[in-house]
Amino acid sequence: MKPTYFINFMMGMYIFIFFAYLFGPLIIMSITAFNSAEFPSISPWECFSFRWFNEGKIAYDGQHLAGLLSDWRLHDGIISSLIIGAGVVSLSVPIGMAAAIVLTQVRSQLRDIYYSISIMPVLFPGVIIGISTVVLWDRIAGLGGDGFISDVGRNGIFLTILAQTCFISTYCFLIFVARLQRFDQTQEEAALDLGATQTQVFFKILVPYLMPAIASAAVIAFLFSFENYNTTVFSILSDQTLTTVIASKVRLGISPALSALALTIIALTVIAAVTYEILRRRSEKKYAQSQEIFVKEKAASGRINKEYKAGFKVPKGIVAILLILVFATYGATQIVKNDLYGQSCIDAADQEKKSKFLEQLQTLESNELTEEELSGGSLGGTEDYGDIFGDPSLFQDFGGFD
Amino acid sequence: MSADVELNNVSVTFGSFYAAKSVNVKINGGEFFSFLGPSGCGKTTLLRAISGFQDPSEGSVLIDNKDMSGIGPNKRPTSLIFQNLALFPLMSVSENIAFSLEVRGVSKGDRQKRADELLELIALEGQGEKKVHQLSGGQKQRVAIARALAVEPKVLLLDEPLSALDLKLRQRMRTELREIQKRVNITFIYITHDQGEALTMSDRIAVMNEGEIEQIGPCDEVYNNPLTPFVATFVGENNPLFGKVKEINQNKIKIETPDGDFVSTMNENNKLNIGDDAIAFVRPESLFMPRDGDSFDNLIDVNIESFEFEGNIKNFYATLKSGTKIKFSIPNAIDTSSISSGTKLQLGFESTKSSILPKAQLAID
Repeated sequence: MKPTYFINFMMGMYIFIFFAYLFGPLIIMSITAFNSAEFPSISPWECFSFRWFNEGKIAYDGQHLAGLLSDWRLHDGIISSLIIGAGVVSLSVPIGMAAAIVLTQVRSQLRDIYYSISIMPVLFPGVIIGISTVVLWDRIAGLGGDGFISDVGRNGIFLTILAQTCFISTYCFLIFVARLQRFDQTQEEAALDLGATQTQVFFKILVPYLMPAIASAAVIAFLFSFENYNTTVFSILSDQTLTTVIASKVRLGISPALSALALTIIALTVIAAVTYEILRRRSEKKYAQSQEIFVKEKAASGRINKEYKAGFKVPKGIVAILLILVFATYGATQIVKNDLYGQSCIDAADQEKKSKFLEQLQTLESNELTEEELSGGSLGGTEDYGDIFGDPSLFQDFGGFD
Repeated sequence: MSADVELNNVSVTFGSFYAAKSVNVKINGGEFFSFLGPSGCGKTTLLRAISGFQDPSEGSVLIDNKDMSGIGPNKRPTSLIFQNLALFPLMSVSENIAFSLEVRGVSKGDRQKRADELLELIALEGQGEKKVHQLSGGQKQRVAIARALAVEPKVLLLDEPLSALDLKLRQRMRTELREIQKRVNITFIYITHDQGEALTMSDRIAVMNEGEIEQIGPCDEVYNNPLTPFVATFVGENNPLFGKVKEINQNKIKIETPDGDFVSTMNENNKLNIGDDAIAFVRPESLFMPRDGDSFDNLIDVNIESFEFEGNIKNFYATLKSGTKIKFSIPNAIDTSSISSGTKLQLGFESTKSSILPKAQLAID
């Protein structure tokens, strides 16, 4: 074996382990969303079902386990998360941009101090930001009596927007700083020289240049806001966001509806990422084509190989999609063949569980304790445990507590 | 429409450093005026003071006889072409050109019309929809000029706009710039460290050194009659011969050097007295090998060391008796096969083609 093969093999192994570590839990969790059992699990596998995306189920013991569609607390949480996300984006992006622009104007030692202060909020524990926001606004709310200020100061969604903006605007700031560092300041000067006012320079030169940064700052701000827990849990007060709902659910008992939610979020993320990538590649291709035309226009005719034609290549993406389709079809046929899908399977499983439940109930009922057992018996009762101090003379000399 | 530009005693300081010091210059309307100097001599600072990006610490800038202090760059009748051109990469060529009209609220149709006119002026008709990155270096240059001309400025300021181009393109753009200036007939103020650019395009030039203007005048005057040793050595090449003033009579001045006495015509502003330290300057192309019947005011013995071939001319490097090095050039058309390393020659030059100046800093030091 050549050493390069070995290195490639090791590299492949490393990448496989790395991705398995990264995505393994997500894949397992995604699969459990399709198992009809009450507890998220892969084995024992009950039935393939979409119930956790829909209504959920009413368990054999009468407990209602909500599915994704019917869980109103989850829905309320998602809605307030979206509202908070929108609020955080609309505050953090302008604040971050303004702070970054100020940084480009500040000179001398003040610049370092300003920069350090600006990035400080990301170093604070989120818990502290959450608590301090609540404490501050509680004071403010207390000042104004029963009016508007009191309402606002005790509104969890408002407080959460403010608390999250405290540190999320810093991430936006960093994104803008990175973009502004590459900004050619002579463009501003050129625009001024051509008669533009400062406002026009801002909107016609700087904002178009910052557009990619604005977009990525908005996305980052929204994602940070959406997934934030440790600040939100304090500042949200009596309201609920998606993360706090999930946290409380985990505390009360996890259900596959959460797996269904996770899978939905993963799917949305993947779709968004893929769409973005496709659009990016398309625009890149367009740019490359325009450059090619430019080169062909400029270059002497002798330098263009007219016979050259790009060979047809099968896009790698299609191969991957085909592979996934084949596996999916195979899996689906296997499931149907083994009668692991559909109402009949679920009914059978429920029936089985119900009978087991009844069986256990009967066992319990038939296991009523006899007189002998109540009075101790061989293992239970007072005989063994009634006199836990054992030797009655043990505490004879104990004088008691004085 | 062109305008006079006047700098009255303009100084610009950064802390204790004088970027420009007591600059006085009056540039006439419609003139092609160049500031020529080595990098760091303060010429860009002066340009920024004229365009309004830099307030003078002292003195005043007058455009069209109006004091410009307190008037921002967007309110001055000037346009600046930046060294890096500073075209807006996110806009098309037409949008770039019409930007100054857009910010003044000119309607879209009129903007397009003006952009098309200017595209014709710079010979880029029908290319207005292209993006900036699709243009070649020379085209970008011309777009920058068109953009600056769109508002019909009274003064166009150019900050070394040709420095990024290759030699052939630069030479062509020189001619084009000069033609555009004649066509639009506005004041051009040009900044450069390249004396070739300054000499070929300008009506007048100002040579700057260490923040101060050393000499202002028409190109040929500055070249032929430099006022300071710096100008003599910065504009074109010059051989310095160090010595002391020996004789002054009427319009002739004689200098005594270890390599002999040389005579030169007297410069009007010359304040030399007998016995002062002075330098005689003679340009490489003013040194000739005398042929039979030729007579020169000055003769000098040289010992050839080496030579190089530059194309149209050949440059010879030689040493004088005192060890001073000297350079002279001979047109390629003249046969020089008899000259080689070690050859001893006598060269001659006319007193009208040399200058004797008080000893001071040289550009080549």
